[in-house]
Amino acid sequence: MSPASADLKHLYYQMLRIRRAEEAIARRYAEQQMRCPTHLCIGEEAIAVGVSAHLTVQDKVFSNHRGHGHYLAKGGDLPRLLAELYGFAEGCCGGRGGSMHLTDLEAGFVASTPIVGGTVPLAAGYAWAEKIKQKAVEGHRNVVVIFFGDGCFEEGVMHETLNFAVLKQLPLLFICENNQYSVMTALAERQPKRDIYPIAAAHGLTAVNGDGNRVDEVYELARVAVANARNGLGPQFLELHTHRWPEHCGPNEDDDLGYRSPGELAEWKLRCPLLQTRQMLLAKQLSNDTELAQMETQLAEEIEQAFEWALQGTRPTIDSMGQHLYA
Amino acid sequence: MRDLKMMTYGEAIREALDDALAQFPDMLLIGEGVPDPKTIFGTTQGLREKYGAERVLDMPLAENGMTGICIGAALAGMRPVLVHQRIDFALLSVDQLVNNAAKWHYMFDGQQKVPLVIRVIIGRGWGQGPQHSQSLQAMFAQVPGLKVVMPTTAGDAYHFMLAAIADNNPVLFIEHRWLHHIIGEVDKQAPAAGLDGAAVMREGRDVTLAAFSHMSIEALKAATTLAEHGIDAEVLDMRCVSALDIESVAASLAKTGGKLLIADCAPEMASSGHQLLSKLVLAHGDSLKQAPRLIVYPNHPVPTSHYVANHYYPGAEQIASAVLEMLGRSELTASVIGALQSDLPKDQPDRSFVGPF
Ligand SMILES: Cc1ncc(C[n+]2csc(CCOP(=O)(O)OP(=O)(O)O)c2C)c(N)n1
Repeated sequence: MSPASADLKHLYYQMLRIRRAEEAIARRYAEQQMRCPTHLCIGEEAIAVGVSAHLTVQDKVFSNHRGHGHYLAKGGDLPRLLAELYGFAEGCCGGRGGSMHLTDLEAGFVASTPIVGGTVPLAAGYAWAEKIKQKAVEGHRNVVVIFFGDGCFEEGVMHETLNFAVLKQLPLLFICENNQYSVMTALAERQPKRDIYPIAAAHGLTAVNGDGNRVDEVYELARVAVANARNGLGPQFLELHTHRWPEHCGPNEDDDLGYRSPGELAEWKLRCPLLQTRQMLLAKQLSNDTELAQMETQLAEEIEQAFEWALQGTRPTIDSMGQHLYA
Repeated sequence: MRDLKMMTYGEAIREALDDALAQFPDMLLIGEGVPDPKTIFGTTQGLREKYGAERVLDMPLAENGMTGICIGAALAGMRPVLVHQRIDFALLSVDQLVNNAAKWHYMFDGQQKVPLVIRVIIGRGWGQGPQHSQSLQAMFAQVPGLKVVMPTTAGDAYHFMLAAIADNNPVLFIEHRWLHHIIGEVDKQAPAAGLDGAAVMREGRDVTLAAFSHMSIEALKAATTLAEHGIDAEVLDMRCVSALDIESVAASLAKTGGKLLIADCAPEMASSGHQLLSKLVLAHGDSLKQAPRLIVYPNHPVPTSHYVANHYYPGAEQIASAVLEMLGRSELTASVIGALQSDLPKDQPDRSFVGPF
C-alpha cells in the first residue's frame, strides 16, 4: 500500500517545508547572527517526513546533530527552532543549545544532541519505560524513533543498544540515514564493503533497507515498521540510502573539496526527493503547477514570519547562565 | 646553523608530526578526519601523501574501540598518535585510556609499555555549547600513569609533540583551539622537552601569574598592559598538567613577594589551579604572603548562545583587575581595562574567523 493521493501531497508539502526552511537558514547564516555549528539536512528530507507521517504526538523522537528535519517533521515549532539558532531566550532550548540541541516536548520531539551515538541508548531507555508503563494497554503502544547516520552505526553504544532493545522487545524504530559520509570520510574508509541492515538483523530484529530519497518508499517501509513496533513485535530497523547536499556543517556546498567522486553529488541531485515526488504528483495528476506554486507562496510566508518572530527574540540574561544546573 | 623558524602553533604541530613520522618508522597517525580535506585544522596536511595511507589514516567512529586498538598496537611496538577534534569525543574512550593505557606498565610489573599519544583539542567559541567545548584536563590529570600536557607556544607545541611521541607512556596532548593561529618561534635544535617543568614566559617582580594554555596568552596580554602602568608581572606557563612544576612557582613567588594569581581555562571546580595551590602549600607553606587569586570559568556548562557565552569566559581584563586589587592599585583599573578592551566578539579567535567551526 503506497501513500494515498492526499498523503503524497502532504508528504511533498512537509518535505518542501523542511527544504525551504533549511535554504533560508543557509542564506541567513552568512549574516553571522546564527553563531553555532549548523548541520543542514538538504537532500535527506524524505526520511524524516516518511517516517514521521506514521507517528502521533504521543510517539517520541530522538535525533542527532543533523536534527532540523526530524524536529520539523515531528511537528517541532519552527519559530522556536530559529530563535534557538539566533541564541535567543525564546529558542526551544532557551539559547542553551543552538542548532545541535533541539527539543519540543509538546510535539513529542524529546531531544537531539551532537555527541555521535549519544541519544541512541536514550531512545531505547525511553521505549523501555513506555513498554513498562503501557503493559496494561495491549495492542497499542507508543513507539520511539531514533534517527542516526551510517557513521553512528560504528559506535559501540549502537550495538549495545540493539542487543538490549531486542532482548526487551522494545517498541523502538532504528532509522539509519545512510548518506555514505561521516563528515568528509567516505564509508569505504570506515566500514568493510557490506550492507548495514543485515548486521542489525543479526541482533535478532527485523531490518530492511530502501531508497531514502523516495518518500513513497520510506512511507511504506515505515508504515510496516511502526505497525510492528506498536503491535509488540519488538524493535525495527530501517537502513535508508540518501545523500547530503551541503557541507557537513555550515551553509555552503563543498563539492570543490573533492572528497566525493566526480559527478556523485550531481547524480544524487537528480534523485532529489522533492523532484521525484513532484514528478509523481504531476504524472498522476494528483496536483498541478498552480497548486504547487501556492504551496511555495504559503511556505515562503510561513518561513518569513517565523524569521520575523525569531529575530524579535530577547537575549538571555547573563544571570540566567547559571540556572538549571541541578533539577 | 640554527634552524629558527616563525610559524603558527598549528604549523608547529604539523611540523612535529612530519618530523616524527620521518624519525619513528613505527609511528601511526590516526583519527576521524586526519586525511580529509580539512586535515584537523591543517595540522595533518600533506602527511598522508608523504608517508602513505598505511601510516596516516582515518578511522571508524568508534572512539573507545579504536583507543583500545591503538593501545594493542602500541603494546606490539607501534607508536600511534590518535587524534580527537574535540576532547568531548575522547570521553567515549575513557575506559580504554584509564583502565588499560594508564595502568598497563604498572599492572604487569613494568614488563610492557604503551607508547601512545592522544591529541585532543579543547576550546571555545561560535556556539560550541555544552557538549563541544568542555575543559576536562584536570580530570584526565588525576589518572596515575597518564601524562597530560597542554603546551601554549608554537615552540613548546613542536618539542612537546616530539617528546610525547618518543615517550614510552600514554600522553594526553591538549591543544586549545585558539592557540592554533598564534605565531611563535620554533627552534628545532633546542634540547628535547621533558614533558615536565613550567616555562617563564615573562619575567617580573611584582606578582606571579601562573596560567594554563590559552589563559597564559591572556595573562601575557594583561602583563603587557600592566607594564605600561609600571606593574611588572611574571608569567609562568603551567604547560605540564599532570606534573605540576611547584618548584618554579615557589621560585617565582620568592621574587614577587609571595603574590600569586592562577588563571585556568576550566570551571572553578575542574581547575588544576586547586592542585597547584594544594601542592604549593604542602611543599612551600610559607611561599604565599597574601591570599592567592584564581581566575576561572563558572561552575556550569557553557551555553551556546553567544549573548551569554561571551560572559562565561574571563580573560586579560579579569586577570589585570584582580592583580590591581591584590596590589592595592585599583585606581588604575579603569585605565588598564580601557586599554585591554577589544571589540572582537569573544566567540571568534580572530577577525578572519567566520564559523561554523
Ligand atoms: C563521539 C563523536 N565523535 C565524533 C564527532 C564529530 N562528528 C560530528 S558529526 C560526525 C559525522 C557523523 O556521521 P553520521 O553519523 O553518518 O551522520 P551524518 O553527519 O552523515 O548525518 C562526526 C564524526 C562527534 N560529534 N561525536
